[in-house]
Amino acid sequence: MNGSEVNVPRAVRLRFGHAAIQLVADSIGVDLLHIKGAAVDPSLRPGGYAGNDVDVLVRPAHVRALDVAMRRHGWRLYSTFEWGSPFGHAQTYMHDAWGFIDIHRFFPGIRLSPDRAFERLWGDSYSIRIAGFGCRVPSVPAQAVLLVLNAARSRTRAMSDVQVAWEEATPERRLEMRALVADLDAPVAFAAANGELERYRGERDFDLWRIASRGGSRSAEWWARVRAAPNLVAAARIVLRAPMVNVDHLSHRLGRPPTWGDILVEFFRRPAHALSEAWRSVRHSGAVR
Amino acid sequence: MAERAAFGGRPVTRLRPGNDVAITEDHGIVYVAHLPGGPIVVLEGTAAAIWSEACGGERETIADRVAEAAGVVADEIRGDVDTFVASLVTRGLLA
Repeated sequence: MNGSEVNVPRAVRLRFGHAAIQLVADSIGVDLLHIKGAAVDPSLRPGGYAGNDVDVLVRPAHVRALDVAMRRHGWRLYSTFEWGSPFGHAQTYMHDAWGFIDIHRFFPGIRLSPDRAFERLWGDSYSIRIAGFGCRVPSVPAQAVLLVLNAARSRTRAMSDVQVAWEEATPERRLEMRALVADLDAPVAFAAANGELERYRGERDFDLWRIASRGGSRSAEWWARVRAAPNLVAAARIVLRAPMVNVDHLSHRLGRPPTWGDILVEFFRRPAHALSEAWRSVRHSGAVR
Repeated sequence: MAERAAFGGRPVTRLRPGNDVAITEDHGIVYVAHLPGGPIVVLEGTAAAIWSEACGGERETIADRVAEAAGVVADEIRGDVDTFVASLVTRGLLA
């Protein structure tokens, strides 16, 4: 009749992860919205897919405080905003009991400033119970928009999210979603997922979302990212970061913290790989005969 | 914090999950955990039934209700049930 501490399904761990991060956030007055996974309304995920991690969107001004509190409560940084993804939107942490959690400081595809976008989503959010704790989630139409935006950079199972959240949505729900997409200034990424991308040819982030949704070489993605930058400073930052080694990625590939020697080798390996990729691309396009 | 109240002149105690305790159920198994650090405690079978009854009535009658649900004599399981409930209280999972 003893309780044991083994054999816990991932879905259960993740539900506790949602509750745990909410408890920490409440304890320090941090605003966050639970997105994806167990936080998704059942009408949008009839299969109940719980995901592989916990995702929360944090009020940008509160990110630093949450980071400090999480580290104090046993979460370890797994990958950083700077290197975790090409969009720089999320930071991943690992907890021995709850698994992975992604802290989002903005959501890719939304061009409205992160502060204003969070406020817009927060405005009509509501609370649900996860593992007995009140967790705030965006409105159901907003969840649907986020699922579609998420699908724009995923070519696998997220397509079923588009099917349910958009293809099968009622006309009224579609109107609500389009209004929110306009409010969030996210038309291009949204269109990349729902098949309307060609309408946005000429937008600065058209190529970025074309490649994100359909694939492309890393160098093409990089150029698209430069073109999509909202201003010269942002574009310059992307250019200047190009030769830098992604230490997070290298560390995970090696399975240990990289040495300076590892970083140096990687520094020279990446340009060589990029040149090789460019050469293959040129040959493939028929420019070299 | 356990609630004590007089009922028919007899003091009763009601238990409930601790304030920092999260609970979820999956396929009949109850999982409970202190937040934010854990660990997760898995309650299966009789343990899950005791947890459910412990959260659903007076502490003094938990064994009776578990016995009734299981179709056994209460006095035969009372000792084990009380010990288990006491351990949940000691661990702070019930208060």
